[in-house]
Amino acid sequence: MTPPIIETLGLTKRFGARTAVRDLSLTVPAGCAFGFLGHNGAGKTTFIRMLVSLTRPSAGTINVAGQSLSAHREQVLAHVGAIIEEPRFHRHLTGRENLQVIAAARGSQARRRIEPALERCGLSTRGNDRVGTYSQGMRQRLGIARCLLADPKLVILDEPMNGLDPSGILELRALIAGLVAEGRTVFVSSHLLTEIEKTCHAAAVIHQGRLVAVGSITDLIGDAGSLENRFLGLTSRAGDYA
Amino acid sequence: MNQASVRPMIAADILKLRRHRATMTTAVLLSVGMALVYFAFIEARHHGNLAGPQALSDGAALMGIYFGAFAAILIGAEAGTADLASGVFRDLVATGRSRTTLFLVRIPAAIALALTLTLSGFAVAVAAAYAGHGAAPAPTAGLVLEYAAWVALSTVVQATLAVGIASLTGSRPVTLVAVIGWNTIATGILYLASFLGPLRDLVLLIALGGLFPGQQVGTRAHPGSSIALNNFKLPMPVTAAVLVILAWAVIPAILGAWRTRTQDA
Repeated sequence: MTPPIIETLGLTKRFGARTAVRDLSLTVPAGCAFGFLGHNGAGKTTFIRMLVSLTRPSAGTINVAGQSLSAHREQVLAHVGAIIEEPRFHRHLTGRENLQVIAAARGSQARRRIEPALERCGLSTRGNDRVGTYSQGMRQRLGIARCLLADPKLVILDEPMNGLDPSGILELRALIAGLVAEGRTVFVSSHLLTEIEKTCHAAAVIHQGRLVAVGSITDLIGDAGSLENRFLGLTSRAGDYA
Repeated sequence: MNQASVRPMIAADILKLRRHRATMTTAVLLSVGMALVYFAFIEARHHGNLAGPQALSDGAALMGIYFGAFAAILIGAEAGTADLASGVFRDLVATGRSRTTLFLVRIPAAIALALTLTLSGFAVAVAAAYAGHGAAPAPTAGLVLEYAAWVALSTVVQATLAVGIASLTGSRPVTLVAVIGWNTIATGILYLASFLGPLRDLVLLIALGGLFPGQQVGTRAHPGSSIALNNFKLPMPVTAAVLVILAWAVIPAILGAWRTRTQDA
């Protein structure tokens, strides 16, 4: 049986007196597009930062593909690609050179994936241009190309639709669908409910650092009519006990 | 740390630095550019007499203490802050690479570029020393190597110091002001503060001056230069000088590595 791609248990992150993520236990099955919903400041990005080891949890455990992140950090992250908040690059380097920088850290296999990744994200012809000249959509695609260098089992996209025009959103949806069709898991954090509804098979809702709902998109919508109605219902009710 | 897998990371860090036009142009002007200006100026003043070994001494001070050192510090400061300033540090951490490795590869990258520039600047001094020694004896190859080794030592230490401080503070301006300010203004004052006695030996440039192959300024054996470039040379034991220099490279590097390991990416 394939282990869940993400399994957190009692995950908590405190910044001084403020608790950004509280006792969050979440299981994400492998091979699907999984939405992670929450208002701005709900704790989504903090959760993701813990998933990719950018910040240490105050309590709790994280397993990725059945391996403990704290015990096998390097092996676990070798197969994870992530865009956290907006993708950032060395603006004075070209798109290709930016990929070379990350590939150098990932190893020789990753270096061989640079050209296919650029090709797949439609950036082959602009690969030798400085990133400073790229549009927001191109930077987003370059961010995904950077994720692909890992040949990832898990792709984490934090607010990937931000700043994209309609054609950029369509391209991104197609890319996500393509990645899932290859058996990868795409974990999409967003506050854009309609996008999650269109892109993902299942989702979790987080509010004030707590997990308030998780399930397939169909189950989450239930009798609420839309994901938006369900989300608003969950997050306003959850606010009562926060 | 696997050497084979680290080499591409060093190459990537060199690429980042090399392609940073503002930093590299300034560093080239400070090193090779200033060497050319300095020796052209001396040449004009002395009608072709650079007094051989004195040109080497001035060239070494120019590269190891003054403008070449500023170039090394500039490159080190850029190497220490580039990933954090661009926001790419978190993506590097997310690859699973240890943060210590991410820090350590900055040092050889900065040293490689800084050494290229300061030794190129010193090559200008060597050319001037041979071309314009006039009535003075031409410098020996051994003397050239001694000075070149000293320039290399100074460059390595100052580039490492800058990488360490930049990684610790996360700020290029703070690093530049702190390190260059310390090396020029503070060191100049401390050098003259004779009441401090052997405490002055703890200052980096004074310890480097302790290993300087040439004479102390004011007692120079080759009075061919009209500009007295202070080499901060004071009598001090070689072992003490080596230990102080080592400390100035290692302690900031440890602090920079600690900060890189502990900061939120």
